[in-house]
Amino acid sequence: MADTLIKSLALLNTKAPYSNTAGKDALDIALIFGSFEQKVSLFFQGDGVWQLMAGQNGSIISVKDYLKTFAAFEFYDIDTIYVCQTSLTQRNLPANFHIEQVQVLNQQAFAQQLTLHQTILRF
Amino acid sequence: MATLHIVRQSAYNTDDFAQCLQVLNTNDVIVFIDDGCYNLQHSLLNTIESSKNIQLQVITQHASARAVSINDAIFTKITMDDLVSLTFENDRVITWQ
Repeated sequence: MADTLIKSLALLNTKAPYSNTAGKDALDIALIFGSFEQKVSLFFQGDGVWQLMAGQNGSIISVKDYLKTFAAFEFYDIDTIYVCQTSLTQRNLPANFHIEQVQVLNQQAFAQQLTLHQTILRF
Repeated sequence: MATLHIVRQSAYNTDDFAQCLQVLNTNDVIVFIDDGCYNLQHSLLNTIESSKNIQLQVITQHASARAVSINDAIFTKITMDDLVSLTFENDRVITWQ
């Protein structure tokens, strides 16, 4: 009997942080699922990798800095966070993130990891 | 007879910046603001011919908010006020967004 997939949600972030609410929306859903103790994983690809870069400060451009809320992930047991190595290389960004437990996966492993989730929401 | 190009999108996400480069003329000015700051290390920059004498400028606050480092050798750091005066100093303005 194929091992039934435990119900799990993947949030695929592909947009940069400040110019639209995509990142904030994804964060809200992650925390809601976390508060109901549902299994949720976060994936960062394309311009979404910029949401993880350390040293950002939204208040400089008077934007509410939702990135700081990423620190709450451990309280919600969100510890499966993946980022696409190809996207980092394209933007020549170092793996210097403002949260821990981020796993950098190559493109193939990243895609493979995504398929382990039943529901995938892309932002 | 120079044009001011205001680039507001990341070239990893849209081809706005690539289109901007296609219509670039001698002595034009490019200002990176908002998500345009993500282009400061994009390979498209290498396609700009130095003979065209293009000025590259960036709004300092928008880049530092995004933890994007600015290479002083290539980019001039400006503020929003400077951007306003730039719109007067140039003959026309195109916003790439």
